[in-house]
Amino acid sequence: METNIESEAYQTFVEATQTLNNTELKNWKRDGGKVVGYFCSTVPEEVFTAAGLAPFRMRATGSTNTELSDACFSNINCSFPRHAMNLALEGEFDFLDGMVCLNSCDHVRRIYDNWIRNLDTHFVKVMSLPRKVEQPQIEWYDDEIKILIKDVEESFDVEITQEKLNDAIKLHNEVRELQKEVFRLRTVENPPLNGVEALNVIVAGTAIPKARYKVLLEQFLKDMEGVKGKGGHRVRVMIVGGELDDPEFINVIENEGALVVTDSTCFGTRLFWRPVSESYDDPVTALANYYIFDRPSCPRMTGDQERRMDFTLEMAKEFKVDGVIGERLLFCDQWSVEHYMNNNDLKKAGIPFLQIDREYILSGKGQLSTRVQAFIETLEGKGIKYEEVV
Amino acid sequence: MTTEANTAVEEQEAKPLTTEEAKERALARYKVERDYFTENREAAKLMVEIGPEWQLQVQLLDIMLDAKEVIIDCVENDKPFIAGYFCNAPELFHAMDLPWYMIMETPFLAASAPYLEGDTDASVEIGMSQDLCTAIRLPIYYIETGQMPLPTVAIGLLTPCDGTPMLEQVIQHNSAWKDVPIYSCDPPYTSDERAVNYYAEELHRMADHITEHTKHTYSVDRLREVCEESNKTYSLWQEYNELRRNVPCPHGWEIGGAQAFAISQCFVAGDPRCTAWFEKLLEVGEERVAKGIGAIDRPDWEEKIRIFWFDIMPYGWVFEFMPWMEEEFGAVVVMDMFGNFPYTMIDTTSEETMYHSLAKRNLLDAPMIRQARGTAENFAGDIRRIVEDYKIDVVVWPGHMGHKDGAATVGIMRDTCRDLGVPFLHVGLDLYDKRYTSVEEVKEQTADFFRGMGLA
Ligand code: SF4
Ligand code: SF4
Repeated sequence: METNIESEAYQTFVEATQTLNNTELKNWKRDGGKVVGYFCSTVPEEVFTAAGLAPFRMRATGSTNTELSDACFSNINCSFPRHAMNLALEGEFDFLDGMVCLNSCDHVRRIYDNWIRNLDTHFVKVMSLPRKVEQPQIEWYDDEIKILIKDVEESFDVEITQEKLNDAIKLHNEVRELQKEVFRLRTVENPPLNGVEALNVIVAGTAIPKARYKVLLEQFLKDMEGVKGKGGHRVRVMIVGGELDDPEFINVIENEGALVVTDSTCFGTRLFWRPVSESYDDPVTALANYYIFDRPSCPRMTGDQERRMDFTLEMAKEFKVDGVIGERLLFCDQWSVEHYMNNNDLKKAGIPFLQIDREYILSGKGQLSTRVQAFIETLEGKGIKYEEVV
Repeated sequence: MTTEANTAVEEQEAKPLTTEEAKERALARYKVERDYFTENREAAKLMVEIGPEWQLQVQLLDIMLDAKEVIIDCVENDKPFIAGYFCNAPELFHAMDLPWYMIMETPFLAASAPYLEGDTDASVEIGMSQDLCTAIRLPIYYIETGQMPLPTVAIGLLTPCDGTPMLEQVIQHNSAWKDVPIYSCDPPYTSDERAVNYYAEELHRMADHITEHTKHTYSVDRLREVCEESNKTYSLWQEYNELRRNVPCPHGWEIGGAQAFAISQCFVAGDPRCTAWFEKLLEVGEERVAKGIGAIDRPDWEEKIRIFWFDIMPYGWVFEFMPWMEEEFGAVVVMDMFGNFPYTMIDTTSEETMYHSLAKRNLLDAPMIRQARGTAENFAGDIRRIVEDYKIDVVVWPGHMGHKDGAATVGIMRDTCRDLGVPFLHVGLDLYDKRYTSVEEVKEQTADFFRGMGLA
């Protein structure tokens, strides 16, 4: 994937996105650091940072088959956990000192069960994430975070003080603010970075120890100052969906002439568009409020679809998109129904929508290109009057 | 996503139904389903001579039909009623004197209805993915096309799978249902005392919500009365299940788990009619055990393979498959997912103890919720318990296309069975739609398996 960005920081991001155990993590481990992997962006990674551990968001980058994990899963399971589990069984996650799972979906939650039966990771845990976004659920999750803190303290022989948690929240918020800055570079007509490049920046942030990532991000923003805007695209699109960490998927879309300018995905804006509030006395309360209510939710949280659609519209408007592409991994029930509603709501708002079902490891590029091309043709020359729809 | 599908939805939205029209439309379909069950009841009546089990079926259908008539009356006469689910402590609805229907009633109870296939196809046409559980797609289709009675209050379900919370969100999203106040208890993923207490609080909030929107409430004494009646039912059910340990098992797939579940949890939880039905079931079962009669009462037949069917019965095509298994292989479904769970008795000492027990029963016991809501140990533990208690020869995981958490537990189930020395069969089908994997294919797979395992 070609780039006109001349930046060492960017090269580090690309490497971190294309690999699992990247150079930055290796350096961290070489210096005695420990790494905790976690599934789902609703795991409060600030807790790990506060504990002096590097949080690592689980992916299945580089997986080529599911031979080993086929003994655990079936062919009606989402390909993401199947590939991730396969890599785990192949030993590709042996660099992890811990793994935390959530009951985020029917497929991923079974990673925990299969992991504890087949692997020997020092610290493995599953958290109970509520399905609603109201006060009792915030309180439930508050307790869950406290239990997580206690478990991490015991397992890693560390103390997680309020001060450390506050510091971690501050650091993660600063990172979020910088990521927003990166994204805002894309609001202009000819942005200096495309969708592929933006995804590389964000995925890397889930794989590089946070303090180091922040330094790299600052450097990256400086490096971006002289970068020429990218022209030549026919339309601007937004991606809405879940587990999208593969720049190649975006590349296929952009090769057809659609510039991906923003998203609502869990390797995208949902991670950083809102900060954790720093006005609570108790940092755990702040985290519970953030992860249950304040951050843009995903379809597994009920009673929140309207706010999710508002967020999509907010993004669509700010980034002046011509259409929205809804991506879904096959067999995902949550995104399947969410996109059904997205389709109806976006149509009402006058924003064209295309749903693409895919496998975690990109296949059928030709078919994807054809569908995107057809979509672009319907978007060209239309122009959405956002003053009227949002 | 098909273009036709979007057109269908757009067309519908272009001409929004008036409340009266929507009411009529939903009622018309509801009556079609009532008529389907009425026909079933008439057919069952003709079979009563064959055995008392048919009398039980007739009684069950009487109760179901009564429940349907009550809902029809509520819709026609603007009386309050609930749309809900079985594991929402229906004893509370009963104590509040509020009728309710189950949102997933059609796939669960009318899966053999002649209109099911057409409706399943139509659900895809309005834009549902084909890999979404059929049992979720159908109610979404009915809601989106105004074919489900609009209740006074909806009580949602956020467990055991990813499908149910999505169905709930369609309810909240649908323009006609938007104003229906909905409450759903949040199910914790854990199963300890903290989880039960939290769920009990959720049930409290659910009851407050119902009262707020229907003005119906309960007295503690009335709730106690209902819970005590419900306890009687569950004790009888437990006693009946003891009978199923016998070799030969007194009943096979035709009567047992599914009906017991329907009657105790879906229609008349805590009602003396429910207790009476279980008394009869127990009596019939005892008689068979005393006479040594197995699932099929025929001199040239014997029970050879005792099956634990670890799911709902495939009601869409049950008649084409289960009798075949019995006839061909002497394979009897001794227990199924809906037939045996721990039956927490409700401690009726105080309102709080009742809520606590109801929370336990509905979060930790209710079938399918019990297995699929939490970690895989719930599956493994049930297999160990049932295999031992019921002298099971084969565990069948049908592999319903909606049960994705179960699909991700297949390795664990297989390992559990291997440790127990019991063969494990994983099929891969749709419990509600025989076109997904044809009955012939399922039969072939089953027969090969039985032969391969030296069971036939
Ligand atoms: S894409 Fe859907 S099914 Fe797959 S891991 Fe994410 S939420 Fe689960
Ligand atoms: S997946 Fe299973 S639990 Fe979920 S709705 Fe379908 S049948 Fe019910």
